[in-house]
Amino acid sequence: MSAIPRFFRFIGELSHFGLRSLVEMFRPPFELQYFLIIMYDIGYGSLPLILAAGFSLGVVLSLHTRAILVQFGASALIPSLQSGSFFVEMGPLVAGLLIAGRVGAGIGAELANMRATEQIDAVESLSIDSFKMLVVTRVLACIIAMPLRTIFIDFAALAGGYFAEFLKSGMSPQLYISLAFQGMQWANYIPPTLKTAIFGFIIATVSCYYGFTINEGSSGVRRASTSSVVVSSLLIIIVDVLLVKIIFFFFPGSAA
Amino acid sequence: MTAPIPVEFNHVTKEFAQRKVLDDVSFQVAQGEALCILGRSGTGKSVTLKLMIGLLQPDSGSVCIQSEDISNYSSQQLSRVRSQMGFLFQSAALFDSFNLRDNLALPLRRLRQGKSEDEIQFMIDEALKTVGLALDVNKMPSELSGGMRKRAGLARALVLGPKILLVDEPSSGLDRITASEIDDLLIRVKQQQNTTMVIVTHDVHGARRIADKIAVLDHGHLVGLGTPDQLEISENEVVRQLVSEP
Repeated sequence: MSAIPRFFRFIGELSHFGLRSLVEMFRPPFELQYFLIIMYDIGYGSLPLILAAGFSLGVVLSLHTRAILVQFGASALIPSLQSGSFFVEMGPLVAGLLIAGRVGAGIGAELANMRATEQIDAVESLSIDSFKMLVVTRVLACIIAMPLRTIFIDFAALAGGYFAEFLKSGMSPQLYISLAFQGMQWANYIPPTLKTAIFGFIIATVSCYYGFTINEGSSGVRRASTSSVVVSSLLIIIVDVLLVKIIFFFFPGSAA
Repeated sequence: MTAPIPVEFNHVTKEFAQRKVLDDVSFQVAQGEALCILGRSGTGKSVTLKLMIGLLQPDSGSVCIQSEDISNYSSQQLSRVRSQMGFLFQSAALFDSFNLRDNLALPLRRLRQGKSEDEIQFMIDEALKTVGLALDVNKMPSELSGGMRKRAGLARALVLGPKILLVDEPSSGLDRITASEIDDLLIRVKQQQNTTMVIVTHDVHGARRIADKIAVLDHGHLVGLGTPDQLEISENEVVRQLVSEP
């Protein structure tokens, strides 16, 4: 099959896979025990990475913006610039890409390995719907975990920014926080944070699709892992553009 | 009323990528009987097992379990049929993210919903005791040796008390002594529980110990079916070679 029909076939299969996971989410039986294991792994397991990345990026952004803003006597704007840039765009996008790397690769590799070692057949042989148990739980966990991870990366970045500012100017935390949130509205925080639920859906759907459908032994595990990260990262960046336009449309205040 | 036949293949054909893996295969396995399927690699032995438990559907012919044709069953109908069956996979296929207790609890919680948690724990302990892993109940699959994994897989297959046990390569990847221990376990289960068994294997020695009947597949065709002694004097050379002990 040539490239273009293959591409459209892939889009069709991926869309069907994602929609099926959404529909099955509301149909019993609900795999609560397995969902909690997955939620712990995806949510808690990625926390150190999220916190470290957020804190480091906060420090770096603060150092860069300080050098410029000080020249214009606008150093008081550093906290609000920091919170604005992270809460509105950088936090959600960076969290999405980090989770795509850590969780997406993990899901792709784990499911492809389960396929290769007959664990998915074993689930089916025990009269358990493998799609519900292995895919739906992961999609739901990613949808819930992504906004939570984004809140963590936002505040870790804010802490990093404060740390850099404190070392330079000795600013108090109370002043930094009040400057950071001065003039900001809920529309600046809530929609960008909630949009990451869609990133979570993309990451889980793409990764589960590759992991669940590739059946090529150990080389399949590598392919599922790599493809999961590449495709979900690309889709996150593309979908982010659309979501920003949609947020501006429904929340004009957030464009200020 | 005649008793249902546990496993029956009627003119089953299965193709993958236009290659016939099974071609017009027919046989029956009687209640309490152990059938070992021998054959060279790639002759459709594992496919035969997957057809029996409904993981694959035949292209033509019928696969009957307890005299019910399951070839076109829905997942709900298959669920009922599978609740009477156990499957030991070649790689044991234990769930990596669960310890042994949870690996065994999963089918019990799903398929024996009337059972209390205490009853489930008792059944798990009994199944693990049967395979000699009673002390390893909290271990993760990654902490087990190849032989222990096989035994744990067997415990999971047995925990529901299946009427039919399907076993894929019980001795693969195991040394002779461990393979013999697995064979002993299968013989004991067959004798004590009168379980009908279908075992795919390359191990002629093990097959001759366990089997009441042996089926030989070659290039998708069933070329021999009978007791080991009957097959030793078969006119088909492949059958004689596969059934003769080295």
